Amino acid sequence: MRTPLRTAAILGMTAACAAALAGCGSTASDTTSTASRSTAASAAASTPSAAATFPMTVKAGNGAVTIKTKPTRIVSLSPTATEDLYQVGAGSQVVAVDNDSNYPAEAPKTSLSGITPNIEAIAKYNPTLVIAAQDNGGLVAGLTKLGIPVLIEPAVTTLGAAYAQIQQVGQVTGHAAQAATLTTSMKRQILAAVTKAGSAHQGLSYYWELSANPFYSATSNTFIGQIVGLFGLTNIADKADKAADGGYPQLTQEYIVTAKPQVIFLADNEAGDGGQSTAIVAKRPGWSAIPAVQDHEIVGLNDDVASRWGPRLPELVAEIAQAIERAAAQPTASPTL
Amino acid sequence: MTALAAADVTVALDRTQVVKTVSCAVRSGGWLALLGPNGAGKSTLIRAIAGLVAYTGTVTLDAVDARTMSSRERAKVIAYVPQEPVLPPDLTVGQYVTLGRTPHLGYLATPGRHDRERARAAMERLDVARFATRRLARLSGGERQRAVLARALASEPRVLLLDEPTSMLDVGHEQQVLELVDTLRKDAGLTVISTLHDLTVAGQYADTLVLLDGGQVVAAGSPATVLTKPLIESVYAARVSVITGSDGHPVVAPRRSPSG
Amino acid sequence: MRRRIALVAAAAFLAVAVLVAAFVGAADLNPLATAAALLHLPSGLDPLDRAVLFQIRLPRVVLGALVGGLLSLAGAGYQGVFRNPLVDSGMLGASAGAGLGATLAIVYLGGTGPGTVPVAAFVGSLAGVAAAYATGAAASKRTVLGDGVATLLLAGIAVGSFLTAVQTFVLQRSASDIATVYSWLLGSLSAASWQQVTTILPYAAVSSLAILLHGRHLDVLSVGDEEAQALGLRPGVTRAVVVAASALAAASAVAVSGLIGFVGIVIPHVARRLAGPSYLSVLPLSALLGAGFLVLADTLARTVLSPAELPIGVVTALIGAPAFVWVLRGTSHVET
Repeated sequence: MRTPLRTAAILGMTAACAAALAGCGSTASDTTSTASRSTAASAAASTPSAAATFPMTVKAGNGAVTIKTKPTRIVSLSPTATEDLYQVGAGSQVVAVDNDSNYPAEAPKTSLSGITPNIEAIAKYNPTLVIAAQDNGGLVAGLTKLGIPVLIEPAVTTLGAAYAQIQQVGQVTGHAAQAATLTTSMKRQILAAVTKAGSAHQGLSYYWELSANPFYSATSNTFIGQIVGLFGLTNIADKADKAADGGYPQLTQEYIVTAKPQVIFLADNEAGDGGQSTAIVAKRPGWSAIPAVQDHEIVGLNDDVASRWGPRLPELVAEIAQAIERAAAQPTASPTL
Repeated sequence: MTALAAADVTVALDRTQVVKTVSCAVRSGGWLALLGPNGAGKSTLIRAIAGLVAYTGTVTLDAVDARTMSSRERAKVIAYVPQEPVLPPDLTVGQYVTLGRTPHLGYLATPGRHDRERARAAMERLDVARFATRRLARLSGGERQRAVLARALASEPRVLLLDEPTSMLDVGHEQQVLELVDTLRKDAGLTVISTLHDLTVAGQYADTLVLLDGGQVVAAGSPATVLTKPLIESVYAARVSVITGSDGHPVVAPRRSPSG
Repeated sequence: MRRRIALVAAAAFLAVAVLVAAFVGAADLNPLATAAALLHLPSGLDPLDRAVLFQIRLPRVVLGALVGGLLSLAGAGYQGVFRNPLVDSGMLGASAGAGLGATLAIVYLGGTGPGTVPVAAFVGSLAGVAAAYATGAAASKRTVLGDGVATLLLAGIAVGSFLTAVQTFVLQRSASDIATVYSWLLGSLSAASWQQVTTILPYAAVSSLAILLHGRHLDVLSVGDEEAQALGLRPGVTRAVVVAASALAAASAVAVSGLIGFVGIVIPHVARRLAGPSYLSVLPLSALLGAGFLVLADTLARTVLSPAELPIGVVTALIGAPAFVWVLRGTSHVET
């Protein structure tokens, strides 16, 4: 077993390497290095207490939460949290997950809803810890009244925050060390993917589609935009980001086509989630003139992986990296926008 | 010229018989006035003749059963003027009167030159032609009444059904309208059936009176035979005296019981 | 004549709106080149720009005109049938039915492919009106309400409320689809294509023609059912035909554009203000004005925050509300 200090040292070195190697495009390196640095900092802060175990107080999305003993009956109302729990090794402590938590397959899926939670239904499982991604329907208030500790682990806006959440999940379930290993491995994989993709793709333009008709996209200020930003790509939706959108503007088709994105990422391509398959997108009238369509650079992503911020992030990054490598190899790809 | 006859007409509204086996007839060019207290069934009988309410019995127009006619055919023969006609306030008089041409227009047809001519003629007859482009809301009560009659005339009917055409008018306007109807009757050979609340006025204009009470005919005939003191007093539960006016028509005057 | 002038002016308005819309857009196409391309002259536009103009922008303009015209005609038709100026093209459960159809398609069929939601919305809209009509007809046999029209309106409200409640129930069970359904409900022409235009064209043509041909009938109906019948019209038949045609027109529009409010209720009033209450004028005028209005509104929606888009329902409301106030101030008398 590694000692906490050694873990912190390794993390620190990895962070330094990441900062050094990710020297492509200022935005990308800033994001990665800041993320790594902040993670290293929080890891350093929290790892010593991993040995200190329970009771512990952590600061989650709903403020300070005290957990008295190691929770053995965990209810997860967040698909991301479910993935986190299983990857840090707390799977055996989970008694119920919500109806959207479809990964991993062995998670005990129930009809509980994370979006419209029913306090009584949750209480029936006698949980000693509940994790959710948002505080809907008075969830926190209701569970607090019943004396059940609840953690709100909301959707993140930076990679660093994603690592911190995984770390926290590990901590409160008594698997801090595994969490640390997990985040290290994630960072390593992501770094590897970024490095492998090389720099031939600098300035490639991309369009990230969240939905069609109307066409919603994500700018580079969003979490997903930052991930793609690791590769130094340019997001065509950035010009459309007026303050009110919060990073998710609705774009006109005219603009999308004239912006000539070289890669198109589809987060709405699965049958039950928008059905905008690559074939359908390629056939949209007027879109045949787009470089991404001409060069077959339309990437249908696993919609689940693209909408969560858990341990499968490296998978998402890998999918993106693959698409970018292919696009960069095309002779028609040009780094201008 | 059309004769109209109603034979054993019965109308039930909401399972109550409002008109009970009423029979009456009017000759071509004649004027039949329906009299009776409130709720006697006068308006309902008129609506049955106009084909607006279901009835048992027969209504014949020149010996043709009205039931065999489509509503368009019936509308070409009968013009119906309700007690309170709906007057869309922003419609011009010209547009409103032209609505009277509806019975003569095919399903998809729109008014043509002939229709506009007929409408114009009707408006001139009723002296409302100068208001042709004015909106109905801008007319006085009497002018509106004439516009309504113009619409009825525009359809070139042979029978005019008037439900209380003068109940809202003062004595002067009432006379004007009834004189007009009488002149039209003679000039155009119209047969008129009207309900009238004023018994004396009814006696002055109509040649046949039918007195209804509780949906049934109590008396029918010339004004002199129907407007008699015992009949009126029993049907209307009122105190009246009936005298003969200078023109020979009966005058019905309400009489007040001496007080004290 | 007032009517003729108004019609010509409205046609000119539509033409101007279409022209402006064709030249304006996020793609910033050169106006001269655009004009040349539209006239089939050599224009110097590259293939991408040609694709934008002919495959994306033009169908959107044409669809906008169609939808605007259909919604206005449907609204005018309903207003004539119900003799009520507060009636909108979405009445009688048309909007609620479309919303429910779209929701069911999105939640249970994943909104797969370009055809599911529009077809579901179309069918739902017609089903809503049919249900309201059947309910109204059954009820008026038992009520003392002599006016079959009032019963029909009430039935429409009841059916509409019921369908909306079902829609909410379905959404609650699948809360992750709320955003998708909501954006559909807000209305949008963003996915306009020639294919959509050709799909709704037959329904649009049939329903528009049917409504326009009944202008005189609606005028006769304005004096009430009883007098209309005495004039030889059959009010029940006219009502059924116009309601069916208006329902078809509204359903075709809603299928491709989602729910766009204000057009069906305000445009007929503007038409009335310009040319008087006769439906012989109001119907064609509403169609032309509505088409031009929606084209303009959509042009604004896709250029004001360019390259982002505003939902078109927002634009029609922002313009429609003050326009409505202007109309009401000039109306001498509102009949209900």
